Amino acid sequence: MNTITLHNTLPAVFAGREDTGSEIWLREVIFERGKKYLISAESGTGKSSLCSYIYGYRIDYSGTFAFDGRDIKELSVDEWCKVRTHHIAYLAQEMRLFPELTAIENIMLKNSITNFKSRKEILAMMEQLGIIEKVDSLVAKLSIGQQQRVAIVRTLCQPCDFIMLDEPVSHLDDTNNRIVAEMVTAEAERQGAGIISTSVGNNVKINVDKEFKL
Amino acid sequence: MSQKDIKNNPDHSSRGLMWKLLRTHISKSQLIGFSLASLVGLTIVILAVQFFQDVKPLFKDEDSFLRKDYMIITRKVSTASTVLQSSNEFEAKDIKDIEQQPWCRQVGKFSSNDYSVEASILVNGQGMRTMMFFESLPDEFLDVTDRHWKFDPNNPKIPVIISRDYLTLYNFGFAPSQGLPQASELAVSKAVKLQFTLRGNGNVQSFEGIIIGFSSRLNTIVVPEDFMKWSNEQFGSGIERNPSRLIVEVNSPGDERIASYFKDHGYQVAGDKMQQSKAQGFLNIIVSIVILVGIIISVLAFFILMLSIYLLLQKNTKKLQDLLVLGYSPNQVSRTYINMVIYINCAVMVVSIILMLLMRAYYMPMLKAMDVSGGKIYLSLIVAVIIMSLISFGNIMAIKRKINDLWIQSS
Repeated sequence: MNTITLHNTLPAVFAGREDTGSEIWLREVIFERGKKYLISAESGTGKSSLCSYIYGYRIDYSGTFAFDGRDIKELSVDEWCKVRTHHIAYLAQEMRLFPELTAIENIMLKNSITNFKSRKEILAMMEQLGIIEKVDSLVAKLSIGQQQRVAIVRTLCQPCDFIMLDEPVSHLDDTNNRIVAEMVTAEAERQGAGIISTSVGNNVKINVDKEFKL
Repeated sequence: MSQKDIKNNPDHSSRGLMWKLLRTHISKSQLIGFSLASLVGLTIVILAVQFFQDVKPLFKDEDSFLRKDYMIITRKVSTASTVLQSSNEFEAKDIKDIEQQPWCRQVGKFSSNDYSVEASILVNGQGMRTMMFFESLPDEFLDVTDRHWKFDPNNPKIPVIISRDYLTLYNFGFAPSQGLPQASELAVSKAVKLQFTLRGNGNVQSFEGIIIGFSSRLNTIVVPEDFMKWSNEQFGSGIERNPSRLIVEVNSPGDERIASYFKDHGYQVAGDKMQQSKAQGFLNIIVSIVILVGIIISVLAFFILMLSIYLLLQKNTKKLQDLLVLGYSPNQVSRTYINMVIYINCAVMVVSIILMLLMRAYYMPMLKAMDVSGGKIYLSLIVAVIIMSLISFGNIMAIKRKINDLWIQSS
């Protein structure tokens, strides 16, 4: 997948608005593989909606999203599974971790369907993010910041053309923000992938090619 | 913690993790409730099917010589008819009238011997002599495949089918009093030497007899029709007589019109074919009711499981949606619950079959005492598999539908 195109898109809840003042909604936007984008937004401007449309689990919008020019509404369930395991790595704002599983189990749940990272690589990433001691702790027992780091490791456990991060560092300090930025950038460069990151203020410290205001 | 410690943790397969994740909210009490209800329902159904298979021979016409759905009728012998010497024979118009009834397929006449027959029976060197009679009926009413069932005047041997009652008389009357061993049908037909002496029309001739088989329905001694014709010509008076017994092939022996027709005309049905079809009718009704009750219980059990699954999926909706967003396909996600349903249903089926076989082992000795050896068990096994497959299929479809519904999430 080389491009994600937005053509005149608008969340259904914003229907009727003519000028949203947004650089995303009701515009022609192209995200290209290999480039880094930041979408800065205020709360309630549809940031998470944008991610869920691109990830195919919500369809309450008008306009067209397209992967390499193909309307994503045409994608079959199997194709979507492929997108989610091979083309777009996604970190949801709400993280979507399973509190009843341990940190490593949460990560392995993703890695066992992609077989992308070795256990050693996963543990190295956890170590880098300072959560290696929490490997076998239940996610329910972790702090939000620790959970966010577990979720970031899990996001990187797949081959991808784009890494889409919805407020990836909202609960992290500057040091960890920097580590996450390095780790994500390194992974993206290794795979030649693009990065689409959203933020409501606490930006991930990545040098972006383009910034959009949502 | 070192990396080595968690290196080979076997729980980290996607299946293992999914089970660990999705088994939460599984209600053991609901599943036990379903399993018990399903077990009771299925066991009742297959036990009824099996019991029906096992007792069916009791009601079945075991006679391999007579085709099905026939009745043997005679006129009622009343005191008046004996005194008045009125005929018990069927006249041509009587036969024609029966033939014209809508329930009648065809009518055959019994012919009897018009001469005297004396039989000597030799068993293990001991003999017995008795006066006898023969009857014959058209071959199309018989289903004899034995190659001996014919008569050749040049090599005269008389094949006979005798009433099973005679064998019973031999086994329980004659043999014990004479210190002879009881014998099976096959042993008797081999060990017994029959000699028939036919007298009449100034002729006397002896023939060897061969027992072709035993019939519980034909309460007589049947010989081939060609022999009857030949022997009546040789030894008979030559006077044509109307038959005193008829064999009627009917569409359905249980038909009420047949019973009332026979009653109105003062005909009697030999044997208890009609009683028997009534008894069989009752058996059918009872077994049908039992099977119906079993099926109702099974259906209720099915709904218990459905409700339990719906509740489970409802409680785990968030997790299931998260798994889908993670890249798991709806099929992978549903597989966990589908496997669970299949395991439970298979276990219920196996236990149910075991229970059925145990109960069968309990009642079979009683049936054996009635000389019923029992039917095959494959039919009840097939029924068990079909019912469980249907239940599983319904469950699987419901699970798949519910999980597919989670694919698109609302905002």
